[in-house]
Amino acid sequence: MTERPAVTIDNLSRHFDSFKAVDGISLEVTSGETFGFLGANGAGKTTTIRMLCGLLAPTSGSGTVAGFDIYRQAEEIKKSIGYMSQKFSLYPDLTGKENLSFYGAAYGMNGSSIASRTEELAERLDLHDFIDRPTRSLPVGWRQRLALGVSLLHRPRILFLDEPTSGVDPVFRRKFWKILYELAEEGVTVFVTTHYMDEAEYCGRISIMHQGKIVEVGQPFELIQKHRAENLEELFINLINGREAANAEA
Amino acid sequence: MSEAFRGLVRKEFIQVFRDRNMLRIVFAVPIIQLLLFGYVVKLEVKNIRTDVYDFDQTRLSREFVNSTSAGGYFLPTPAETPLLNLESSFQRGSRDMALIIPDGFGKELESRGNITIGLVADGSDANMTAIGTGYMTRMAQKYARDVVGMRMPLNVKYNVLYNPEAESVYFMVPGIVATLLTMVTMMLTAMAIVRERESGTLEQLLVTPISPYTLLAGKVFPFAILGLFEISLALVVGVLWFDIPFVGSPLLLFALSALYLLTTLGMGLFFSTVTSTQQQAMFFAWFFSVFAILTSGFFTPIFNMPQWLQYVTYINPMRFFMNIVRGIMMKGAGLMELLPDIYTLVIFGLVVFTFSAVRFSKRAS
Repeated sequence: MTERPAVTIDNLSRHFDSFKAVDGISLEVTSGETFGFLGANGAGKTTTIRMLCGLLAPTSGSGTVAGFDIYRQAEEIKKSIGYMSQKFSLYPDLTGKENLSFYGAAYGMNGSSIASRTEELAERLDLHDFIDRPTRSLPVGWRQRLALGVSLLHRPRILFLDEPTSGVDPVFRRKFWKILYELAEEGVTVFVTTHYMDEAEYCGRISIMHQGKIVEVGQPFELIQKHRAENLEELFINLINGREAANAEA
Repeated sequence: MSEAFRGLVRKEFIQVFRDRNMLRIVFAVPIIQLLLFGYVVKLEVKNIRTDVYDFDQTRLSREFVNSTSAGGYFLPTPAETPLLNLESSFQRGSRDMALIIPDGFGKELESRGNITIGLVADGSDANMTAIGTGYMTRMAQKYARDVVGMRMPLNVKYNVLYNPEAESVYFMVPGIVATLLTMVTMMLTAMAIVRERESGTLEQLLVTPISPYTLLAGKVFPFAILGLFEISLALVVGVLWFDIPFVGSPLLLFALSALYLLTTLGMGLFFSTVTSTQQQAMFFAWFFSVFAILTSGFFTPIFNMPQWLQYVTYINPMRFFMNIVRGIMMKGAGLMELLPDIYTLVIFGLVVFTFSAVRFSKRAS
C-alpha cells in the first residue's frame, strides 16, 4: 500500500473575533505515522484538532482527514477517527462497561460486536479490574485508559489524542505509549498533543506550534541537530523564545 | 430504530435511576405535591361555620338542621344577626355559610311537596364554597329520602357571594397534573443536555457519527416517557387516595399530554441551547414554570385577572393544557369540545419544538 496522507491541512485558519487561534497552518501526516503536535498552552493545538474532528468550523483554508474533506464529509470523517479530548469525556455515573456499550451504540455497533470488542479492549488495555466500577471513582490514569478504549471501539484508522496523559503518573504514561506504539504498528495513525518532551521523542515526527502558526516540523532527532540543541526540551524553549524575541523586535 | 437511538435512551434511563436526587424528583415530588394540596384543601372543608335561619321551627326542620352536623362538615348554630344584615357576619369573617329554611318546610316535606331551602356561601374561600354547597345538597336530599322513604326533590338554592366561580378540591389534581408534566419534562430535558455539555461528554458524542436528530430524539424521548409516568402516578394517587372523579377518557388525556409534551420538551431543549450550566438551565426552567403556573388559571380563574394579564395568558401553552386536563377529568369533555385548545397546542408544539430542534442541531453539527 502506498503511503497516502492521513491528514492534510492547507492554509487552515480559525479566528475568534480578532484573535487568530490558528493562523494559516499547513501540514501533512502520513498513514501509520505517530505525529506529535507540540506547542505551548494557547498555541492553537486544540483548536486545530477540533477543526479536524468536525467539532469546529474553520474560518478559512482547507483540509482532509482520511481522504475526506473537513467541510463536506464530516460524517465519513467521524466514522474513521477516534477522539480523546483533554477533558474527562466519560459519564461519571456509568461504569466503564456501560460507557463502552453506550459509545459503541453511538457508533452504530450492535450488542454482540460491542461485547466482543469490549472484551478485546479490556484485555489489551488491562481494564478488567475496574471496568464494572462507576468511572467517577477511578484515578485519572485508569479513566484515561478507559477513554482510550472508547476512542478505539469502532477500530478507527486515525486517532486524535489531545493531551491524553496530562495528570497521569510516569509508569502509566509509559504503558499508555506502549499501547500507542502497538496501534501505530497496526497501521493506525496517531495524532497526539503533549506537554511532555520525553513523550514527544517517541513520535516519528513532530511539529511545534506557536501563537497559531507552525514554527517547525520534522523528526525529533533531526530537529535537535538542526538547531544544535541538547535535547527536545531545549529545542522547544529556544524556538518559542526565539519567536517571542522576533515578535518583540517587530 | 437505530442502535444509536436505543443506546441513548438506555443510557438516559440508567442515569436517571442511578441518581438519587433525580429519583426524588421523579417519584417523591408528585406524591408530596398531591398530599400537600389535597390535605390543605381537605382540612378546610370541615367545620363550616353555618348560621341557621329556621323560619319553620318544626320538629322536622330542627331534625334536618341537626342532621347537617353529622360528619363534622357543618357547625350549625342559630343565627344571631337578622336575615337582612346577613352579609355583615360574612364581611367580618365570622361565618362561612348561612342556611335558610323557609316556613312550611316540615309540612311540605310530609306532603311530599316541592321544597327549596336557601344557602348563602362565602365565595372568597372558593374551595370551601364548592365543597360545602355540594355537601349541603347531598345532605338535604339524603334527609328528605330518609324522612319520606323515597327519592323526592329537595332543592338547595345557593347564592355564592364575592366569587361566583367556585373552585373545588377536584380542580387541584388536574392542576397538579398539568404543572408536573410541564415542570418535570422541561427541567429534566434542559438539565440532562446541559449536564453533558458541562461534563464534556457532549463533545465526545459529537465526534461520533450520531446525527443531530438521533441525538435530539434520544435525549428527549426518555423524558417524554418519564413525564407520562409522572402524570399516571399523580392520577392514580388522586383517584385512589382522594377519590377524585375522572369523568372523561384517560386515553384522550394521555394522547393530548403527549401532544403537549412537544411544547414542554421543546422549551427544555431551548433552555439547553441558551445556557451553559445546570444551574442556569434550572433557573430558566423554574422562572418559566412560575410564569406558566400563575397564568394558567391553576389558582386564580383567568377571568378574574386584569384584562391585560388575560391577554398575556394566551402566550402560555400551559393555560390551554390546563383547560384540557380539567375538561377531560371533570367535565368529561371529548375531542370535539377540546378542539380549539388542541389546535392551539399543535401550533405551540410545532413552533416551539421546531425552533428549538433547529437551534439544537445547529449547535450540534
